[in-house]
Amino acid sequence: MPVIVCPSCDLAHRAGPERASERTRCARCQASLQRPENGSIDTAIALSIAALVLFLLSNAYPLVAIETNGSTRSATLIGAALGFYRQDHAGLAALVFITTVVGPFLQIAGLLYLLIPLRRKRQAPGQNAVFRLLALVRPWTFIEVFMLGAVVALVRVAAYARVLPGVALWSCALLMLTLAALTSRTSPGQFWRWVEGSEA
Amino acid sequence: MNLPATGRSLGLLVCLQCHATVRALQVPHPRCPRCRAHLFQRKRHSLALTAALLLCAAILYVPANLLPVMYTDTIFDEERDTIMSGVLVLLHSGSWPIAVLVFIASIVVPLLKIVSLSVVLFSAWRRSPRYRTQRSELFRMVEFIGRWSMLDVYAISLLVALVQIRSLAFVAVGWGALAFAAVVVLTQFAARTFDERLLWEAPP
Repeated sequence: MPVIVCPSCDLAHRAGPERASERTRCARCQASLQRPENGSIDTAIALSIAALVLFLLSNAYPLVAIETNGSTRSATLIGAALGFYRQDHAGLAALVFITTVVGPFLQIAGLLYLLIPLRRKRQAPGQNAVFRLLALVRPWTFIEVFMLGAVVALVRVAAYARVLPGVALWSCALLMLTLAALTSRTSPGQFWRWVEGSEA
Repeated sequence: MNLPATGRSLGLLVCLQCHATVRALQVPHPRCPRCRAHLFQRKRHSLALTAALLLCAAILYVPANLLPVMYTDTIFDEERDTIMSGVLVLLHSGSWPIAVLVFIASIVVPLLKIVSLSVVLFSAWRRSPRYRTQRSELFRMVEFIGRWSMLDVYAISLLVALVQIRSLAFVAVGWGALAFAAVVVLTQFAARTFDERLLWEAPP
């Protein structure tokens, strides 16, 4: 009988007759062992493409502009990291750049690279390495935190200057929602079900 | 006492990347047959690494809260903001929901994270048999909310990028921001180096 070991507490479970549509939790520590099957690979690819477009928009246009006494100044997503860099805080600049630009990009591009061949029952070259890279990058994608940080910054600036929201502010908000939907549909368990489906 | 069957007692390993359960083989560096990630019974030096990272975070928590994170020069005056005075500015400008949010994300969450990780670390070290489920859940909650404390770093990054109209107003980064970001990153790493399974080892 197949056995599943809980990654959170090492308890061994007999793999029961539950189907992929059920969510199972560890009997001892309550960690989730298996997430239910969630949507098709086509949905995941569509969401990845949408996320890629939104990501490009978010980087191409300014997030916000402020206007004081007739002069305006705008900032982009990359500009937020560059501001730190110009003030000799390269470490902070790198942190902001990695968590808001590199992280989301690798996550979206990596998923597209893996999923498009899988849809045709093929496996991308270096599939396992890319999968492990995604697992490494996933916890360092902070777009939703950045969005809230932007709101806080705007509230503070609004006391001094007129704030003009830019295109990227809206595309970033949509990117945040799309990435959340995408992440919940491409859990590691789901990904390997697709891989096993492509081998069958 | 009848001990429950675990991966260790059955000679099974679980891959932390893809969650495949694998029979443990007597080879030097086993890898997952499914995703080729490294396999191990427990994360190596987990308690020592987590303790070291946590200690650094706890030390840096002091300058993170005392040093200014941001200097604002306007034609009228010069202000220096710490994390807490930033919260007060928001409170006085009338946006109290945002002030509460920043207070929770920047002051409560990092402190809660350092304290909770210390509790979890200490009970794993003692192999304390009580409240294991609660401690496991506490650890997972800390992992989940930890990222939100980056909020202030992003707010400062945008302010620095935006408010650079030299004749009118100028925002400069303070060293407090670096200390604060270091606390967030160090606690994120501390949570990642901690092996949850150590909370469930049989008592000595």
